[in-house]
Amino acid sequence: MIIPLLILTPLVLLAALGAVWKARPVHAALLLALSLALVAVLYLTIGADFIGLVQFMVYVGAVAILIVFSLLITRPGDEAEEIQRRPRSMVTGLICTLPVLAVLLIALVKGNPESAPAVDAPPLSIAHLGELLFTTHAPAVLAVGVLLTAVMIGAALFARDTEKPKSNQPEK
Amino acid sequence: MIFATVPFPSFTLESLPQLPKLLVEWLLMLVGAPDWLVSIGGTAAMAGTVVGVFLSAFALLSLVERKTLARIQNRLGPNRAGWFGILQPVADGIKMLTKEDIVPTKAEWLLHLAAPILIVVPSILALGVMPLGREWVPVNMELGLLFFFSVGALTELSVFMAGWASGSKFPMLGAMRAISQMVSYELPLIISALGVIMVTGSLRLSDIVVHQGDFYFGFIPKWNLFTPWGFAAGLIFYIASIAEANRCPFDLPEGESEIVAGHMTEYSGFKYALFFMGEYLGLFAIAGLGVTLFLGGWQAPLPFLGWVPTWIWFFAKLAVIIMSYLWIRGTFPRVRIDQLMRFAWLCLIPMALLTIPAAALWVFTGKGIVSWVVTVPLLLIPWVILTILFNKRLAPATRTYTFADS
Repeated sequence: MIIPLLILTPLVLLAALGAVWKARPVHAALLLALSLALVAVLYLTIGADFIGLVQFMVYVGAVAILIVFSLLITRPGDEAEEIQRRPRSMVTGLICTLPVLAVLLIALVKGNPESAPAVDAPPLSIAHLGELLFTTHAPAVLAVGVLLTAVMIGAALFARDTEKPKSNQPEK
Repeated sequence: MIFATVPFPSFTLESLPQLPKLLVEWLLMLVGAPDWLVSIGGTAAMAGTVVGVFLSAFALLSLVERKTLARIQNRLGPNRAGWFGILQPVADGIKMLTKEDIVPTKAEWLLHLAAPILIVVPSILALGVMPLGREWVPVNMELGLLFFFSVGALTELSVFMAGWASGSKFPMLGAMRAISQMVSYELPLIISALGVIMVTGSLRLSDIVVHQGDFYFGFIPKWNLFTPWGFAAGLIFYIASIAEANRCPFDLPEGESEIVAGHMTEYSGFKYALFFMGEYLGLFAIAGLGVTLFLGGWQAPLPFLGWVPTWIWFFAKLAVIIMSYLWIRGTFPRVRIDQLMRFAWLCLIPMALLTIPAAALWVFTGKGIVSWVVTVPLLLIPWVILTILFNKRLAPATRTYTFADS
């Protein structure tokens, strides 16, 4: 179990770093997809098959596709400019990410893994997982559903043409 | 070496596709290989069988498709290479392999190289979880259906890579069309499969096939297609699978008369052959999934035909589905991109969403007469309303052509 972790973690980190570092947006997006796919492989190696496959389907199949598709439509600016403003964006990026990193590290240290015994639970069957989601955690699932619906309606409102679309029906 | 100490395992016609695996395992055991090597060898032989079978089916289909289309269009089709053109796939293969591999100057060579490989891999992986016969399930995963759709997600990314890395206009346009089409039609495809999961209560594809095993009145097979929700979902799945496979009438991403060959424009030689192969293997995978979900997989269609090896039924059903694709290709004109998108978002997705409550009611009311009474109106009334609406209000506006019409 430790060997795949040792092989995969550097690869995930490298791909993620590349996603941040690459000046060409398409390369960054593809590297992001690669790092997300490698995280899915990580899940598969620790026996969380369902999470791994869903991670692959949602992040590689949907999120990465949305990113590259929006890149295709919007024609992002050129790379020289991007490289020129790199020092400034590095500072703002660090300001944004360092608190998150600090919180995660504190949680990791304070979480004190020694006190909590590593439960050697059998892998959760998919039927059991579904039952848990729709009984014990039903409010959370419903809340996420409402949130997503609201987001979708909002997106539809934004996407709608504000001016009245010209009809291309033939003049009567 | 001690011969005859390892008896060759017995096999029947049913387990004929297992023969390469058994043979390799037997040979390895005969020379006294360790257990892990035997199991690896067996698995490799099994994977080789699946790939070999589907690659030969691909070669055969490339000929059958040209012949069928030719007959539909009142032509003869390829008839020079071998008997009735039977050697045409071989000739095609030699031609493809000996062509020059051209990488455009503006292309990004790494992505340009990776795209055709990444388009073949998911199709082969998806075929690996398919129950091809009662005893012929290459990998029997608990999450088989989820795995199928997960690896299918990779296809879109590789189409994007092909279109973008070629550094040219037509591939880019083709990739944009292909991605928008695949994203739109993946939704009805997955949603229409959900009803089957709910009724079966399992994501394992072999369980789904076993669940469709019985017969109504002793002669109508209990396939999912012969239930109200299954009929609607099967129809939606069929239409969406044609679009997912980028086939006519939904072949806009590679419409020859519009954008040369879409994302494959800048590819030649073996890389082009890989695209071609990936497309046909994807076609087998998606049609095979349709057979598994709605047409009872390897189950025999009539009770007294149970003696025929089950894998023959799977491939027979697959052949029927694929022939229907060819027929449609030879008959229907290509749709326009706005028609394509409207049809997916306004017709297929609402109808696919309706099959979920219908399937739930079907299970809840006990799969009897009451279930028919409840689910048929639930599906039929919205269907009729949607059809009327689509024909009257939501239909794409007729386009007027400034110069051609006057």
